[in-house]
Amino acid sequence: MSGPLLVVEGLTTEFPTRAGIVRAVREVSFHVEAGEILGLVGESGSGKSVTGFSILGLIDPPGRITGGSVRLAGCELVGLPARDLRAMRGREIAMVFQDPAATLNPVLRIGDQMALAIHAHETVSAAAARARVAEVLTLVGIPDAARRLDAYPHQFSGGMRQRVAIATALLNRPKLIICDEPTTALDVSVQAQILTEMRALARDTGTALIWISHDLATVSSLASRIIVMYAGRVIEEGPIRQVLSAPGHPYARGLLDSLPAKAVAGKDLMQIPGAPPSMLALPPGCAFAPRCLRADGACDAEPAPTVAGDRRWRCHHPHAEPTS
Amino acid sequence: MSPAIVEVRNVSRRFAPTPSIGERIAGLFGAYVENRTVHAVDRVSLDIAPGEVLGLVGESGCGKSTLGRVIAGIHPPSDGEAFIHGEPVMGGSRRRVKTTTRVQMIFQDPFGSLDPRFRIGATIAEGPIAHGLIRRAEARAEVARWLSAVGLPADAADRFPHQFSGGQRQRIAIARALAMQPDILVCDEPVASLDVSIQAQIINLFLKLRRELNLTMLFISHDLGVIRHICDRVAIMYLGRIVELGRTEDIYTRPAHHYTRALLDSVPKLVTTGDDLVSFRPISGELPSPLAPPPGCHFHLRCPAADARCRSEAPDLRDLADGRRAACHHPLIDDRT
Repeated sequence: MSGPLLVVEGLTTEFPTRAGIVRAVREVSFHVEAGEILGLVGESGSGKSVTGFSILGLIDPPGRITGGSVRLAGCELVGLPARDLRAMRGREIAMVFQDPAATLNPVLRIGDQMALAIHAHETVSAAAARARVAEVLTLVGIPDAARRLDAYPHQFSGGMRQRVAIATALLNRPKLIICDEPTTALDVSVQAQILTEMRALARDTGTALIWISHDLATVSSLASRIIVMYAGRVIEEGPIRQVLSAPGHPYARGLLDSLPAKAVAGKDLMQIPGAPPSMLALPPGCAFAPRCLRADGACDAEPAPTVAGDRRWRCHHPHAEPTS
Repeated sequence: MSPAIVEVRNVSRRFAPTPSIGERIAGLFGAYVENRTVHAVDRVSLDIAPGEVLGLVGESGCGKSTLGRVIAGIHPPSDGEAFIHGEPVMGGSRRRVKTTTRVQMIFQDPFGSLDPRFRIGATIAEGPIAHGLIRRAEARAEVARWLSAVGLPADAADRFPHQFSGGQRQRIAIARALAMQPDILVCDEPVASLDVSIQAQIINLFLKLRRELNLTMLFISHDLGVIRHICDRVAIMYLGRIVELGRTEDIYTRPAHHYTRALLDSVPKLVTTGDDLVSFRPISGELPSPLAPPPGCHFHLRCPAADARCRSEAPDLRDLADGRRAACHHPLIDDRT
């Protein structure tokens, strides 16, 4: 293997608004190995989805990527002409969104709209495209797929629609699929089915996944590495078991400790005080400092990333030095 | 158990779309008109004791919100009745209206539940003034009292909803409900739309209010972790029926209904040790449409223990060991006898 599949370095994405410039993603760096499942967690507004969109070049003007690079198998994606990006999307990197109802075209039959995704990238006969669509739908656990090709999206349940969206992402055998909260809108029983299938898919097809979620438990049952974002920055990264058993950054620690699973039933939960900062008025230095119990004068300066083995964090006062 | 403060007796709630004029004429001439009635809640009975927090759990479409709204007096029941302090929540016989202020509701979306053009103080004081609980002159002090109870500064009263974050708005919605001095709070997914770090703050607020005000609560959620943390007892709903009811710890450690067990097995657990990925045991199949629920036990299509009886005969909610009730022909725990 010659280096990681995806390397993101110093990625910065900005959106000018009437109230000022929102830097939604700030100098984000990470990598994804081939066949790996990487969890990307953070609260709303932390920049996790914008990171996903930036990788695919899906930032609408006036928003734009103002710095950094995204390299897929050595090929730079930032600054690529729109035509080349379009050729790459779906074939090299695909994306699955949170709301399957909005992803699918309501007036096209499932089989037809999925076939469009094949024809966009290669010249195949309609029959061959149809066969491949049926094959991929079976792969994601849709029973009797060949017969359901002529159904419309509204004839599918939410879980089935999300399976169709995932199947569409798989159609062109991309090297990487970015999944943006794909199970958040689904019931737990359906979520468990989809998580089981995604895990098997990643294992069997060698497709790498970036799994964007706010739910640490879901990510912990799926990913091998985790990235935690806060206010546009990656504040912690590492192998998932190590990060979840001994988080270094006080925010990551606070998130974990505030879960009901960590407390005695009926007793107060540990809570992080305050609320996430406005992206228009970020505090100077560490963005988490105003909510952090360990913050002091040093935190007025932006902490540089500390690297220890596989782990990385941005904090002046991390919890117990993580062992790698 | 002390006498119940909330009694739900055989409540059903159906939703039927109003037939179009064409359908009505066709019906008059004896044509077949498709029945699109949804049985959102199907003959549910339960009690809530004073000071108790009862959790109501289920997947989307199971009728948990509708049951909550019947108890809160928002929807009149189609059959049966919900009582508070022995009195029906809805008075009147033909045109049914809510006749008590003893029950208040908190909704999931704090962006939709507050009037954007009302100042916070006006939002909180409106109900108590209209119902004569307080005089207009007392409103300011009263608003400040409830704002402080939910952890907001008194000057929040002069601001508008858009000036607050989601977590703060949910606090305001809670203050508005409390200002009516209810005995019962019906909370419909009150933390589902909040960020993880804010969820813990609101859960702690509920725990504090419960301790200080001795509130009785119906806490509706799909989040089994949150329910386990704050509820004394839990009711599990599936397609409009309660399938299991019991003490929280009992249900989580030893579920009686196959659906409960499958639901608990589906929840991703936070795994912090070990190299292996945990395996789920997902429920096979999908939730059937509430328009056409299967006959017999609604769960039989997905149940590993289903037999011929389950396919034809709907099980009643019956008493099992340790004060548990479950609607299952083949429960996972012993019968009482």
